[in-house]
Amino acid sequence: MRVVIAEDNVLLSAGVELLLASKGIEVAAVATDGPGFVAAVLRHRPDVTIVDVRLPPAFRDEGVRAAIQARRSRPGLPVLVLSQYVERVYARELLADGGGAVGYLLKDRVARVSEFVTALRSVAAGGTVMDPDVVEQLMSGRDRLVDALTAREREVLALMAQGHGNATIARRLVITENAVHKHVGNVFAKLGLPPDEGGHRRVLAVLAYLDSER
Amino acid sequence: MRERLTRAVRSCGYLLTGLGCGLATLVLLPAAALPGGTARLRRWTGWNRRRAAALLCLPDPGPRDGRLLPWSLEFALTGMITGFATFIAAGRVAVVPVWWLYPEDRPVVLLAPVDSWGSALGYGALGLVFLCWAGPPLAHALARRCLSGPTEREWLAERVMELGESRAAVVDAHGAELRRIERDLHDGAQARLVAIAIRLGVAREALGENDPVAQLLREAHEGAQEAMVELREVIRTMYPPVLVDRGLGGALAALAARCDVPVHLDDSVRGPLPAAIEAAAYFIVAEALTNVSKHSRAGRADVRLARERGVLLVEVADDGVGGVDETRGTGVIGIRRRAAALDGTVSVTGPPNGPTRIVVRLPCAS
Repeated sequence: MRVVIAEDNVLLSAGVELLLASKGIEVAAVATDGPGFVAAVLRHRPDVTIVDVRLPPAFRDEGVRAAIQARRSRPGLPVLVLSQYVERVYARELLADGGGAVGYLLKDRVARVSEFVTALRSVAAGGTVMDPDVVEQLMSGRDRLVDALTAREREVLALMAQGHGNATIARRLVITENAVHKHVGNVFAKLGLPPDEGGHRRVLAVLAYLDSER
Repeated sequence: MRERLTRAVRSCGYLLTGLGCGLATLVLLPAAALPGGTARLRRWTGWNRRRAAALLCLPDPGPRDGRLLPWSLEFALTGMITGFATFIAAGRVAVVPVWWLYPEDRPVVLLAPVDSWGSALGYGALGLVFLCWAGPPLAHALARRCLSGPTEREWLAERVMELGESRAAVVDAHGAELRRIERDLHDGAQARLVAIAIRLGVAREALGENDPVAQLLREAHEGAQEAMVELREVIRTMYPPVLVDRGLGGALAALAARCDVPVHLDDSVRGPLPAAIEAAAYFIVAEALTNVSKHSRAGRADVRLARERGVLLVEVADDGVGGVDETRGTGVIGIRRRAAALDGTVSVTGPPNGPTRIVVRLPCAS
């Protein structure tokens, strides 16, 4: 697996490179700003990218913009965005194109090496990985969509949003995979997702959540 | 007699110069509106006050404090009127020996024609009396008036303006400092902690759980992660990073998205606000929306931001049950504290059956 990183802080990029190297993941390039990142993506054609939200010149949300721009030139490019804090509105922007393969995590999560690499692989495989804090922001909401779901279905959707597959969800909730399958189906139905969207439905379910205006 | 004469001459000189200075002040006053004009006007008052102090044998009082415009107008008008009277009186004394040199059909006219020894001596005597007896007290009164300082009211008004300006400067500096600290913590301490935690994490995985050092590593790794959470919380409560990234509008949109109740956001503020004001507005809306979520049982909330004549208006209203009890919970107290720190005002209306409305006004001279 080849990775392109957009990170201007040398301490952090060195740390992430070390971490990836320990798991046998190759870092093709480290860009230090948005345009450099987009160029590196086009040149190296990575399997997945890791982007810091704050990049030069203004250190605001250049990372999010660069990620969205890179996905415009390479639709479906897997992007894992790292941030000092997480906001539901950012998650919505990142998922707006509906293509999935998006991760949005607090920088702190990088320190949990195995979990981080699992999330990275999940994004590379087209999954959606939302930080537990974002999921918490969603679940604390009082919108009608949440009300329509049972407690169990909410748990399943929360784990789905964090990028877990049915098998992991079954293990976490100590239920059978069949039961998870049934719950996922109910979630799709209640969120009004058509049955013929295939793998994208998991992304759409999360997106529907993020988009649910209350 | 000699002393009286000296005094009369000095006073006469003072009053006549006053005529010129009064005229000059009136003509040049509009120029005070130009850049640097106030400083120049102040220097001009200093020169005139030195002149007045010299007449009264007092030390140099320095330029005038307080408002300059009323002082200048009064100085110009009184100077011109008394100076003109002195000019006429002195003129009449001066023409006594020479009035007959003027042609008969065009005599000297100083308010009234001087065309005979009778009128010349009569007017001359009147002029002399004016110069010797009325001139000195008039000149001294004028000079004292010129030296008078600002009234207490004027002084207070001046002081309030100065304090307002210095307060705005402090608020600006404070905001800039908050931003700088947030940036430094983010780029420095936070990044370093993440880098350390990554290394500890990698080391832990390489070592396996059975190694005797593994326990130490685990503690260090977990400690580093806890420190990251704490640092993140410190930064968030000091200056929310979302304000840096998205500005006040974006930060409020993020707050609205988090709220349990649908929030309608109306933000008509254009142009930048001082960082400290933005932070205060953000925390105030956050507190208010937390209250809405927790207590109001509202169906919707409205957040309005507007700038009206140097004041930022922050209004949070909901259609809930009302009955705000300021003595319970810290929400409204926190809002009052934040507003007071920036010289702002808070009004809370929450009758027992609702709705609740919190209006905060923060001065933000732009």
